[in-house]
Amino acid sequence: MNLNAKKVLVVNLADKTSEVKSYVELHKYMGGVGLSLKLYEIYYNKEPVILSVGPLNGFFPFVSKTSALLNNDGVVEDSYIGGNLSLRIRYSGLDSIVFIGTADCPTIVDIQNTKTLFHPDDIDIGTLGLPGKRSTLKNLGKNLMLSDYFTTPENFLGKALTTKNVAGIVITGTETYTPQDFDRYTQLYHKILARKLELSVEEGKHHSCGKCPMGCGKSQYGEIGGNVLIHSMVACQYADTIYNDIGTLFSCLNTLGYDYRHEDIEYLPVLIEETLKKVS
Amino acid sequence: MKKIIKAIRMENCIGCELCVLEAQRQVKKVGTEGALVRIFKHTQKGTNVVLDPTVNTLDIKKIQEICPTSVFEITEEDLHEFER
Repeated sequence: MNLNAKKVLVVNLADKTSEVKSYVELHKYMGGVGLSLKLYEIYYNKEPVILSVGPLNGFFPFVSKTSALLNNDGVVEDSYIGGNLSLRIRYSGLDSIVFIGTADCPTIVDIQNTKTLFHPDDIDIGTLGLPGKRSTLKNLGKNLMLSDYFTTPENFLGKALTTKNVAGIVITGTETYTPQDFDRYTQLYHKILARKLELSVEEGKHHSCGKCPMGCGKSQYGEIGGNVLIHSMVACQYADTIYNDIGTLFSCLNTLGYDYRHEDIEYLPVLIEETLKKVS
Repeated sequence: MKKIIKAIRMENCIGCELCVLEAQRQVKKVGTEGALVRIFKHTQKGTNVVLDPTVNTLDIKKIQEICPTSVFEITEEDLHEFER
């Protein structure tokens, strides 16, 4: 994992190709909505639909969402979907996936790490990817279903994918990581996991997002809007007492080997606001 | 007698994969590749929790304890099971 650059898979639906790009200059945007907004600016003329995770997804508890950013009738919309999608993207070795262009027929995009395959929509999506290591996003038209359960609060993502002729997306991640100070990482992991009672949701027995023990009833419908720092990590908004704390964020990032300073984290909301003004 | 972990209440599984990643952390990995605990989600048919027998070489108590819905139980290995 390159901790000093953002790894982006650009999927061109028009000519059914993809390429991996490494952006050192996007390091300061950290991830999630911050990174997506900057990518949106870069790919603005290609009507991008962008999925992004943050640097803590796949590593720490309650950092369980994926940011989706797109143009909805001239307005830049960000929404957040739960499930295990963020883990699959992180374990693909990617920070973001940018979909550009429009497919010539309804298409299922099948991503395994950085390799992309394109299938017609009459294929059984359940046969794609590796079981236990994949997330399946079905575009049903009226809504979008992740792993047959999770969805987004508004159907902005589904609508944008329909416009691009994307009938479904399967993402399989098979990369593994070993944080440099593994013992310190493990200690911090358990310390955060032990704070589950600070979450502003009730424990339940619903399908849970990845790395979240709550099984709450709120996760099914994702999130929209809210705190840009939380959404750059892309943590669950119900864990904001944990991840809206710059000290905790710094510890988590530092344990994984990122070189972000307190000032970088503090400045991120300003950076996002500036980028948003440019693209709005 | 050797202790082994079993997934005896799979219907409780909420798919958080904390158990998968606990087992991976014990071998100093983050990710699902090569995992000794695997979760297969089927919304219609429920969830299937599959344990590789070598998971019992790990700290299985930690795997049991991290599950928020008590899917796992640790029992003593029944050697006669193999004879039957």
